[in-house]
Amino acid sequence: MSKFGIGIDIGSTTAKGLLIDSDMKVCAKHIMLTGAAASQAIDKILEELESQSGLQLDDIAIISTGYGRARVENAEKSVTEITCHSRGVHSLNPEIRLLIDVGGQDSKVIRIGKKGRPEDFELNDKCSAGTGRFLEVMARVLGITIDELGPLALQSDSPSSISSTCTVFAESEVIGHIGAGAKPDDIAAGIHDSMATKIVALAKRVKVVPPVCVTGGVALNPAFRHYLSKHLGTELWIPEEPQFTGALGAAVIALNGKS
Amino acid sequence: MSYEGVLEQSGLGLQELVKAGEEIIGYIYPHAPLELILAHGLTPSLMRAIPGVSSGFEESLQTFACSYIRNLYNQRTNDQLPQITGLLFPSNTCDSLQNLTDIWKIRFPDDRIYRLTYPVTRYADDDSTRIYLTKELEILSKMIESTLNRPFMMDNYERAVSIIREFRHDAQFLYSARVVDPEVLSYTELSRLVRSFLTAPLVSVASEIHRVSSLVKEKMKSKGLLNIINSIMSGFQEKDFSKVKPFKRSPGPRILAVGGMVEPQAIATIINGINGVSDSIIVSDLLSFGFKSVFAPPLDKNGEPFEEMAKSILAAPGEPTQEGLQYRMRSLKDLVKALHIDGLLICEQSFCDPDQFEAPSIEKVASEAGIRTVRIPIDPELSDRARIEVKIQTFLESAGYT
Amino acid sequence: MTEKKKEEKVYRQLESNKLLQQIMFQYMLEGHQASEENRLAWVTSGFPVEIPVAMGVGVSYPEQYGAVVGSQKVGPEVCGYAEEIGYSQELCSYARASIGSVEKPDQSPMDGLPTPQALLAGNNICGTVLRWYDAVSEQTGAPVFLFDTPPITDGQPDHHKEYVRNGLDRLVDFLGTTFNTTLTDERMHEVADLSSKALELWNKSLTACKTSPTPLNCADRFLAMAPVVSMRGTELIIDFYETLLDEVEMRVKEGLGAIRDEKIRLLWDNIPPWHSIFRFFNGLAKRGVAFPADTYTHAWSGKLKIEGEGDDLFDSVVSIYSNVYLNKGLEAKIDKMCELIDDYNLDGFVMFSVRSCKRYSLGQLVSKEIVSERTGVPGVVIEGDMVDSRVYNEAQIQTRVDALLEMFM
Repeated sequence: MSKFGIGIDIGSTTAKGLLIDSDMKVCAKHIMLTGAAASQAIDKILEELESQSGLQLDDIAIISTGYGRARVENAEKSVTEITCHSRGVHSLNPEIRLLIDVGGQDSKVIRIGKKGRPEDFELNDKCSAGTGRFLEVMARVLGITIDELGPLALQSDSPSSISSTCTVFAESEVIGHIGAGAKPDDIAAGIHDSMATKIVALAKRVKVVPPVCVTGGVALNPAFRHYLSKHLGTELWIPEEPQFTGALGAAVIALNGKS
Repeated sequence: MSYEGVLEQSGLGLQELVKAGEEIIGYIYPHAPLELILAHGLTPSLMRAIPGVSSGFEESLQTFACSYIRNLYNQRTNDQLPQITGLLFPSNTCDSLQNLTDIWKIRFPDDRIYRLTYPVTRYADDDSTRIYLTKELEILSKMIESTLNRPFMMDNYERAVSIIREFRHDAQFLYSARVVDPEVLSYTELSRLVRSFLTAPLVSVASEIHRVSSLVKEKMKSKGLLNIINSIMSGFQEKDFSKVKPFKRSPGPRILAVGGMVEPQAIATIINGINGVSDSIIVSDLLSFGFKSVFAPPLDKNGEPFEEMAKSILAAPGEPTQEGLQYRMRSLKDLVKALHIDGLLICEQSFCDPDQFEAPSIEKVASEAGIRTVRIPIDPELSDRARIEVKIQTFLESAGYT
Repeated sequence: MTEKKKEEKVYRQLESNKLLQQIMFQYMLEGHQASEENRLAWVTSGFPVEIPVAMGVGVSYPEQYGAVVGSQKVGPEVCGYAEEIGYSQELCSYARASIGSVEKPDQSPMDGLPTPQALLAGNNICGTVLRWYDAVSEQTGAPVFLFDTPPITDGQPDHHKEYVRNGLDRLVDFLGTTFNTTLTDERMHEVADLSSKALELWNKSLTACKTSPTPLNCADRFLAMAPVVSMRGTELIIDFYETLLDEVEMRVKEGLGAIRDEKIRLLWDNIPPWHSIFRFFNGLAKRGVAFPADTYTHAWSGKLKIEGEGDDLFDSVVSIYSNVYLNKGLEAKIDKMCELIDDYNLDGFVMFSVRSCKRYSLGQLVSKEIVSERTGVPGVVIEGDMVDSRVYNEAQIQTRVDALLEMFM
């Protein structure tokens, strides 16, 4: 076992890096937009980790993850974000048995074993339903920003019904509700309700076993959390920095030398 | 060699044949009567889905037609099909292929279309399916003769029976040898060999396969594994694994690729594209264009030709239509145990009824056997490749293999 | 409430609907009783049901149950139970609804269908039923009997007839062993007569729709067809079809239409969107659009009879059940549509492209062109699903249908 470990998570939108020591204490971390050139982001992250920690990084094991995982040249190994998220969440809260990660482009549900390894998992299919993208499209239809969408939805006590799972279809349903004079907060609530339903369907494929943790950018949306918790019938646990769990898992693997 | 590379290479072989004046009958369902086509002096060639064409179907097919038939149709509308004299479609096998044939006949009235109707064999413990299919094969033969003026020649037939028997025997041996030692021949290479023969069943291709098979046989003999391999081969042939001799499992993950009309090359390419993973993790496949084409029983040269062909087709490891779910799952259960399989890659052609209906039952069998599964929705364009790679890699990681 | 009142103004309820509800309820009770007595089979809509009925076997129809799930607007939930255990959302929604309801009967309409002791599948309506019934067999342990009727292209050759005939003989054996029962000639003739009688009455009601205004609209026929699909061969339904025919003939005599103000007459192709059936057809009725004919309810019109000398009833069963609409090629479907458009004097057609149903739907894009060309009337293809409202986009469908209607103005 080495004394430190570095995890680098190159996602489709943001790139994250994290350096931990053998007590699992975070010594340095950095998050930035991935941009068009992943290699620049990787260099920048390593630079930041070096300057924040004051350590010489050359001898520290690096594990890469995320869609750009193969691009990290000085990584010892690349590991999928599913395994990394699982390990990362496990290191923060070993009780967690189900992890729901909802990002901008995709969503995943992972059942975590007692040792922190994924036991079963599901990814959303090709279409954008059930991802952050769905909420973005709907916010635009309602003429508000994505940050306003969640708080608006929480004001409603009778969500509009949105049955289509397809983003394009749901968009026209929302337009229909607007045309019929439904209240914006009810529509916003319906949007979150529909999104949560889709994610729960995915979760049921791998079995819902509490306690449940939610990560990814959409985890920060309070209305989504509300409806997700309602449909799952259980409380949700959210890490302090949900966007770093993938990188953290990679760092843990780097530290232990085993996935 | 990559998926695209294999396609290109075997496509070239076919072009050569056409140039040499051979007439080709393309077929799209694995259980085609190859001997019959050869007996008429024609060359049967398995039409493949190709990754390059993704549109052209829109004016005739909805998006929920299975991705395999959409791809074939795209090839036709974009003039990318090989130069063929006629096309043989199956009937009574699945709804998408059934309707595709009707659509094709209307949209391309000048194409020469043949249709072979398969009976559903299961539950018929009498000889009615054999009688029916024999008759259907006779009708097909007469149709070929009358439309192409090519009679069924007995000497052609006998030659065809020999060459196909030899191909099957060699390929079956290679499939069985890989089960014991997946490193002896890469999965990609085996798929390539089988694919080449199905694209153009030439003596030269059969000889190449025979050469490889002889080399592998020598190696296996020197390791004293021949008896075991033969017992596995019989197991596959008889669909009974109770007499498979015990063997030492190879190191590393032992994965079985199951599913239907998915290209073995596509699977191999994806696997080899994942960092640090090679296709030696695939111990075998049970795919239509691989295993199922290879493990049809041989024909008896002395029997009545049409009846012999019918018997072979009906006894081949079938599509779900032919065998029935209960039977197939029982057999899968025995297989994973006898062959030390520790994971299943369940490949599903997108919008494929037979594949998608069977997947949950396969998952259940695997879970009862205590082995892991991952479901891979796939289309010939590999349009979702990044996600598929993540799924397979995670599957291997979670099983502790990487 | 206000919306319902308005609908009643444009759309005339059938008096015979009350009787329909009664017999469907009784039919459900009989299904439960048969199940309790261990003599219930689930059957596909195109199965030669006269044979199990004549052998005293009770029958339930999973397809009809799918329609109930759709009508009660719980398609996404019940199909969802099947998706939770791994069945893809791309699969037939009738299949998903039935697999889902077997999985969670207590959370499904009517607590699911009564438990079957056998599953009788006929592939003359599609190849999907085999895999579907196999899946249900895995869930329930009930054995599957498959009645194989290979699709027909040009006529039915002798070897095809013999093969199908063999299947019928096997069916009688299978039912005999499974349910410890026998088939007598007398009973078979009795049931066949009842079946033919019901179909004759039903056909008369359908044909009456050639009149303008049409006495029955699409939704009327879709509901009224239920007994002839599921209970043909029983005494119970004759009374209903007589009452229905009386009412239809009365409407024709008095010049009363199913909708108040019929202006445009259209053909409907495919299964209806059960979840939106009244909303869709009554919405159009408001605008004077009636559907005097459709390919779906006309698909159950084959009457069993002895044709030539030396034939027996089974030969008739072979011929009728091999030649059902969906078991023939696209050309035959096109011919049928053109025939209906001519015979019923229709102005255009609406084709519902059902994502669930590949057998019925693949080919519609081609047949639309040809039917239009041959008949000279316009048509439109709308896409959605019969049970799963998650893939039914009302706004998109509305726009397409509106565009079709604008062609008549």
